Amino acid sequence: MTAPSSDARVSYELPLVADGGPAARSDERACLPESLLLRHVMWVCRLRWIVVAILGVFGALGLALGSLAERLGLRPQGSWPLAAAAVLALANLAFVAHARRTARSPGSRGARTNLWSQIAVDLPVLTVVVHQMGSLETYVPFAYLFHIVLACIFFPRSWSLAVTAVACGLYIACVTLEEAGILPAAGLYADASLRGLLDNLPHVRLFNVGWAVLTWLVVWYLASSLSAMVQQRDHELAETNRRLVVAQQERMQHMLRTTHELKAPFSAIHANVQLLLRGYCGEMTPAARDVLSRVSRRCQRLASEIKEMLQLANLESKAQEPLPCADLDLAEVIAACIEQVGPIVAERQVTIEADLQPARTTAAEEHLQMLFGNLLANAVAYSHPGGPVRIECRPLGNGGAQVVVEDHGIGIRPEKLARVFEPYYRTDEAVRHNRESTGLGLAIVRTVAQTYGIRLRIESAPGEGTRCVLAFPPTGRRLAPSRERKESDHGLPADRGR
Amino acid sequence: MAYLLIVDDDEDFASAAAMTLRASGHEVDILLETTDALSRMKARTPDLVVLDVMFPESSSAGFDLAREIRDAGQPVAKVPILMLTAVNQKFPFGFSASDIDDHWMPVQDFLEKPVDIAVLCRRVNDLLARAT
Repeated sequence: MTAPSSDARVSYELPLVADGGPAARSDERACLPESLLLRHVMWVCRLRWIVVAILGVFGALGLALGSLAERLGLRPQGSWPLAAAAVLALANLAFVAHARRTARSPGSRGARTNLWSQIAVDLPVLTVVVHQMGSLETYVPFAYLFHIVLACIFFPRSWSLAVTAVACGLYIACVTLEEAGILPAAGLYADASLRGLLDNLPHVRLFNVGWAVLTWLVVWYLASSLSAMVQQRDHELAETNRRLVVAQQERMQHMLRTTHELKAPFSAIHANVQLLLRGYCGEMTPAARDVLSRVSRRCQRLASEIKEMLQLANLESKAQEPLPCADLDLAEVIAACIEQVGPIVAERQVTIEADLQPARTTAAEEHLQMLFGNLLANAVAYSHPGGPVRIECRPLGNGGAQVVVEDHGIGIRPEKLARVFEPYYRTDEAVRHNRESTGLGLAIVRTVAQTYGIRLRIESAPGEGTRCVLAFPPTGRRLAPSRERKESDHGLPADRGR
Repeated sequence: MAYLLIVDDDEDFASAAAMTLRASGHEVDILLETTDALSRMKARTPDLVVLDVMFPESSSAGFDLAREIRDAGQPVAKVPILMLTAVNQKFPFGFSASDIDDHWMPVQDFLEKPVDIAVLCRRVNDLLARAT
């Protein structure tokens, strides 16, 4: 807070660090995230189509095969199953349409409304079914359990208890209205004595209804308790996941900033060393020039290391804006990279043999430059003087492309082959051959390859050389860079309204 | 011989760059802040500006100054700008040569630190040759 004081001085008091952070409130924890609820909405809608189909088939068979039903001792059901199927079908169409509209409106809380609407339609329709099939002489009333259990999964305990209470109330009302004669006689079985026996024994009827209600309440208690525990774990997991993602992003950003802060003074050192070496400040003794040359070499190594650290951090940073992908000719990108490694090729007296056929791919050009630049620089750096480095590029029949980078240099021992992609890992042989290596080049190659789904195989034999084979997937089936996959608030990939 | 202005908060780097450019025959002034840069340019318009991006008070002060120069009216608006920075790659505060844009990054060329002083001299001379 900045505030003027009487003598025109301005004061500032450092605010206390806010605690708590963005953790969910307890009432929010009790509810599933909206995106997950929407998935449940669609799942329940799919289930309802099955119920609609069962009711429709039941109604159609009842109408078509009425005489058979009578022979089986079943009462003709008339058209109520078809009417119930029609009501559920119409309601389901509305629920699906509402869910799709909600999915297209990020931030809305329509999934809860949708689920409550489904319950508001389902329970009365189910009560009609229970009445028509037989509220006491069949097990159909236990279908209320489906809704009770689903409510326990979707909603907080108080809400699922409300659903259970409504189910119990509707069932008790159904039985009471039947007993009072307000609802007409119905039932699945033609033999009225089944129901008549229960009608004549009110205490048995009361016991059956009470037992059913008690069963539902016990099921509600068990299901809601288990669901609450699972939801709690789910939220803890999502919160841990969120914190890990944030920590990783902060770590990468901190690394990038730190690296930048190191690079700025380093560039001043580098520039001043060059001034001395190039004689801008007068002649030096041979011994002084030798020392300064060592400093210059270390400067160059440090410059490469900082550049590669930044490249790797940028590739791995989720905070970074994804680079725009473009349709590229791999042959052109490789040709540009060959030019870039020209100075090191000349220094090492290596020859590059390129056989580049046009092959299309979709990627960020800078990423492919890092990929090929590092592979070529490695092949050149670990070749023997005068040795050839061969690079081939050709399209594949499946719409993909293959690039091969091959050298006849020092090679890699089999037991070390799998580790060469680890950041900062360098084999003893590699260090002896080339002290300037940073150990980050192949880590960058690995990250780029994994980002674009490029299959990379490396073959090597000590003393014979190394061959890297890259298989680019067909352009149409290329995965988007992995960091573009958004995650919803519960840590699962978002639906994006599809 | 041209008159060059280096605007960079890193005095050590700026001095080294200035020494190199002076050895190439140019007259060079150094400014360690962007605050007075525009008024200095209006008082004496340089033939080229070597401009850093990040300054202590703002990580985009170099961009801001570049835009101010472009909006400053003639002859300042026509001064070629060679931008230097210690950031590479695209990051929230990073960019690359392909991002040079008349509006967002209105500069003629871009060099990433650490800079090879021979390359710096060559780029400066190229830009001066293009400007004339």
